[in-house]
Amino acid sequence: MQGILSIDMKKRRHDRLAFYASVKNFRTTISLKSYIHQGDLGPFNPGLPVDVPVWLALNLKQRQKCRIVPPEWMDVEKLEEMRELERKEDTFTPVPSPYYMELTKLLLNHASDNIPKADEIRTLVKDIWDTRIAKLRLSADSFISQQEAHAKLDNLTLMEINTIRSLLLDSLNCMFKLRSNLQPGSSKGQFMDY
Amino acid sequence: MFITDIRKDFYEVVANQRVALLVASDIDALCACKILQALFHCDQIQYTLVPVTGWQDLGTAFLEHKEQFRYFVLINCGANVDLLEMLQPDDDSIFFICDTHRPVDVVNVYNDTQIKLLIKQDDDLGVPSYDDIFRDDDDEEGDDSGNESDEGSEPSGKRRRFDEQYLVLLILSTMTELMLMFHLFHRREILFDYEQYEYHGTSAAMMFFELAWVLTKDTKDMLWWAVIGLTDQWVHDKITHMKYVTDIATMQRHVSRHNHRNEDEENSLSIDCMRISFEYDLRLTLYQHWSLYESICNSCYTSCSFKLWTLNGQKKLQEFLADMGLPLKQVRQKFNSMDMSIKENLRDVIEESSNKYGMKDIRIQTFGVHFGFKNRFLASDMVHAAAALLESAEKDESNSDNFIKALDALSRSNLERLHSGIDLAKKKLMAVQQTVASCICTNLILSQGPFLYCYLMEGTPDVKLFSKPMALTLLCKYLLKAFVHSTRNKRCRLLPLIMAAPKDVDKGTVIVVGIPPESETSDKKNFFGRAFEKAAESTSSRTLHDHFDTSIIELKSEDRSKFLDALITLLS
Repeated sequence: MQGILSIDMKKRRHDRLAFYASVKNFRTTISLKSYIHQGDLGPFNPGLPVDVPVWLALNLKQRQKCRIVPPEWMDVEKLEEMRELERKEDTFTPVPSPYYMELTKLLLNHASDNIPKADEIRTLVKDIWDTRIAKLRLSADSFISQQEAHAKLDNLTLMEINTIRSLLLDSLNCMFKLRSNLQPGSSKGQFMDY
Repeated sequence: MFITDIRKDFYEVVANQRVALLVASDIDALCACKILQALFHCDQIQYTLVPVTGWQDLGTAFLEHKEQFRYFVLINCGANVDLLEMLQPDDDSIFFICDTHRPVDVVNVYNDTQIKLLIKQDDDLGVPSYDDIFRDDDDEEGDDSGNESDEGSEPSGKRRRFDEQYLVLLILSTMTELMLMFHLFHRREILFDYEQYEYHGTSAAMMFFELAWVLTKDTKDMLWWAVIGLTDQWVHDKITHMKYVTDIATMQRHVSRHNHRNEDEENSLSIDCMRISFEYDLRLTLYQHWSLYESICNSCYTSCSFKLWTLNGQKKLQEFLADMGLPLKQVRQKFNSMDMSIKENLRDVIEESSNKYGMKDIRIQTFGVHFGFKNRFLASDMVHAAAALLESAEKDESNSDNFIKALDALSRSNLERLHSGIDLAKKKLMAVQQTVASCICTNLILSQGPFLYCYLMEGTPDVKLFSKPMALTLLCKYLLKAFVHSTRNKRCRLLPLIMAAPKDVDKGTVIVVGIPPESETSDKKNFFGRAFEKAAESTSSRTLHDHFDTSIIELKSEDRSKFLDALITLLS
């Protein structure tokens, strides 16, 4: 039993992601103990909250066997604070969770009736995402135009890296090609194609 | 036999088995199927879905699947015939039948092993008691053996006594024969009374919703499907108004229960969540997805009350609109683009004005659903859309394709399909109105004595639409209502209507539908099923009684006239 989730086209490199949400089970008659990759699960007792992988949580939710308790950071006030912090700082601030965007999307699509103020949370997370992507674009732009050799960025999540990955790599490749053609010694007027 | 505990006797029996679902082609069955599918998905019960359109389809489907499946669930088919005789199943096949067709065949009621009926034992079933219909043969033998023992106890009786004994025996045997004959006659009479009228019972979708509720797995989606199933029965005029109102009250209890579950002052639900609300809304078909003017022109109730096929009627409509203060330009626009000031009090304004024009029941109790920012639908909108998709007369699409499309349109995630269904429904309604108008204006409805008769010629526009049973029945009902409003002959208003339309030009068949007379207090009981059978027998016409509703048959066009004559003699 692998936690295989394909969430977004951008995440083509991420074949297997397992992350945890807290799931509260009720009116279930499962009292199984299952052995999966990351360890054991269960036993599930009705009425007691249990931590399970997200894929199992969503499956159980769709089969109406459980209720999902949102993670602590998925709260309107906390997200508002984070958004303000993000807007103030020039660099990236620490994120609520390394998979905040994916979790929000999954949980709000399937379990929005268990999450209070789901619409506001969706807007807040989108705002945080937009701010961070804008900063990322700005820094990638300056990196390429100033022809830097290396850069260090803190607090980026995997999904944000993925959005910029192909653009950054392709543009750097182009820059390299152009630079190597401009150097003396190489045959003029011949542009090497890969 | 009737199932009392639906969870124990049905759901837990099929819980670990593979089930074949045989579903009839009407919207109530589709909704029931959706609810059952959702329940099966929750508990990972394997099933095979087979859409069936008639008895032949049902037989073929059963033959195909009887090797692999032991449990069959029949939705809206199978209760009104002797199923075991028709299908000849093996002894271990078990049938769960949830059907709205009444009367339920007596063999199905009293079979204890193979037939399980998922039907509530309401008061209105009126099934004759076992003793009235089935006679045990033991009684007869008991009499004989009693006689013999009498005889035997006096082996060497005097000859006179022997003669007496013999006489007594003779009298007793004649009496038993007479009793048997009387019993048979009585039985035939009881069965005739029981099976004479055909009508409909509680919606199948509501039955399955109750199952979901008992299992505490009911969701708002399932509740919405149950509401659509009930509304289908009302739109297609299958149940009385009283029954509809009672069932709406039942559904209203469930709706309030669901609405109070999650709503809170602080934690309001996301806009994407489904909200079902009780509406006391207008009886104008599809008016929120059309313009108000079009909707008034194409809804049966308003069109018949105004008599919109006459010039006078058109004028009255203009007066009506003027009376309400609605400018024509606004009213002809799409409903969503009308001015907010007009839309706000629209229902009350229309109700007030329609009371002046003799339309007392312009508003009807129903439910509406609301999810996302744009999507608002009334239950009757969904019924019309799904019905149009189910019977769309495209050439390349088979029955099962249409079935699947209609089934998809009922899910929340397939909104484009639903909208395409609504467009098809609009075209269908306009075709119905135009056909009604032309039939009335050209006096195509003839009184044949005990009933009215109307035949749609082959060249009529949109006649392909009316080769399907549900569409033709809808047309039939609208036509009868319009006729009742337009005729001056008081006797004709109380007559039932038979309508025929060409079904298959190559094979030369017509589809014939009979509906009961139109009245305020009609109990919607239809006697044409038996009448058609008898007429076909007596004239040996080539008919096909394939549809689950016995009042809809297929007939060869050449036999039309003799069939009708037989009917006239039968019913007069």
